[in-house]
Amino acid sequence: MSNPRPQSPNMQNYRPQLTSVMSFGHRLSGSALVFFAFGLSAWLVAGAAGPLVFDDAQAVVHSIAGRVMLILASLAVFYHLCNGIRHLIWDSVHGFELRAIYAGGWAVVGASLFLTSALWIWVLA
Amino acid sequence: MIVESSEQVPRLKWPRRFPVPRDFGVAKNSRIIEGKSWPEPEGATRIATLRIYRYEPDNDGPPRIDTFAVDLDDCGPMLLDALIWIKSKVDSTLTFRRSCREGVCGSCAMTIDGTNWTACTRAMDELSEPSTIYPLANLPVIKDLVSDQTHLFAQHALTEPWLHTETPAPERERIQSVDQRRALDGSYECILCFCCTSGCPSHWWNGDRFLGPAALLTAWRWLADSRDEGRGERLDSLDDPFRLYRCHTILNCTRTCPRGLNPGKAIGEIKRMMLERGG
Ligand code: SF4
Ligand code: SF4
Ligand code: FES
Repeated sequence: MSNPRPQSPNMQNYRPQLTSVMSFGHRLSGSALVFFAFGLSAWLVAGAAGPLVFDDAQAVVHSIAGRVMLILASLAVFYHLCNGIRHLIWDSVHGFELRAIYAGGWAVVGASLFLTSALWIWVLA
Repeated sequence: MIVESSEQVPRLKWPRRFPVPRDFGVAKNSRIIEGKSWPEPEGATRIATLRIYRYEPDNDGPPRIDTFAVDLDDCGPMLLDALIWIKSKVDSTLTFRRSCREGVCGSCAMTIDGTNWTACTRAMDELSEPSTIYPLANLPVIKDLVSDQTHLFAQHALTEPWLHTETPAPERERIQSVDQRRALDGSYECILCFCCTSGCPSHWWNGDRFLGPAALLTAWRWLADSRDEGRGERLDSLDDPFRLYRCHTILNCTRTCPRGLNPGKAIGEIKRMMLERGG
């Protein structure tokens, strides 16, 4: 054949479902946490470098952007943690029925949102 | 919403697809253009609109989406009936696979409204309006809704789906207890429609080396068979960072299986068996 066959679309046409979206979310939060770890060490280094540098670092942390990043980072921590537990349960070959897959998925979404808000209410209160 | 059976059609109208541009990462010859819109049948009162992927290998044109209006009072209740209606009354060049028309041959699998299912077991009144009908996702297209599944069958063959024995053949058949036979329930019923493998994001990105849920379900069917004596080699062949372990338990497979099987769980069983033998 002269022209190679076209490929039918995958991601461009396939419906997002709790199953795939949560898996992408797990990847995304995992990668975000790597960057968060860099940010955390930068903050610690600033602390070790003396009060002047540390003041600058604190200013960044307390800026609007800094706060949003912190909230997102805590959400990533909780999501990755809760979903990690879900994956551990699967590794023991439990919870593979569709009902359990979906109930567990929504529970993880709910728990990570709840834990994130609880943390920030506690921090800011 | 909680999904309890793969039969359940997603109820949410949004999101229908991932927020990526239509041509995101799509090779030039795979980009889809808007095609022809066929007139509504005369005198029809109940109409369903089908937006169908078309590809004609004999001319150089790109794939396109044609829009058909189906007279629901003039055709059978299932999507396959509507496709046959179009082929006989509107456009005889529309091409698709079908055979059994009752969900047991696996021929008519396609991506219907963004999820994979067999056209003969999807009722017209379960479709959105308009609905989208594509060939199974992520496969080379031969013509219209007919996808090239050579690679998927090669992956299936790689699992050597037959009984492996070392002991000499007994005088009569190799016997199984009722419970041993029951251990195969849920893994032998696969119709090789490949809805699951075509819907698996891991197979989209690594399908050249990751075997995908359909082949792995079959691999489990033989690993779980009390009569099979090839377990060691079977596990050796799967013990590979790609063939088995590219499954990230996304579970799109279990969500979409039109037979209600659970390939995701079978893969979990294989991973556990692998762990238990210490490899
Ligand atoms: S569970 Fe594994 S095989 Fe099934 S869709 Fe997910 S990655 Fe693919
Ligand atoms: S496991 Fe289900 S979806 Fe996958 S090929 Fe078999 S019947 Fe089709
Ligand atoms: S025609 Fe056989 S499964 Fe649809």
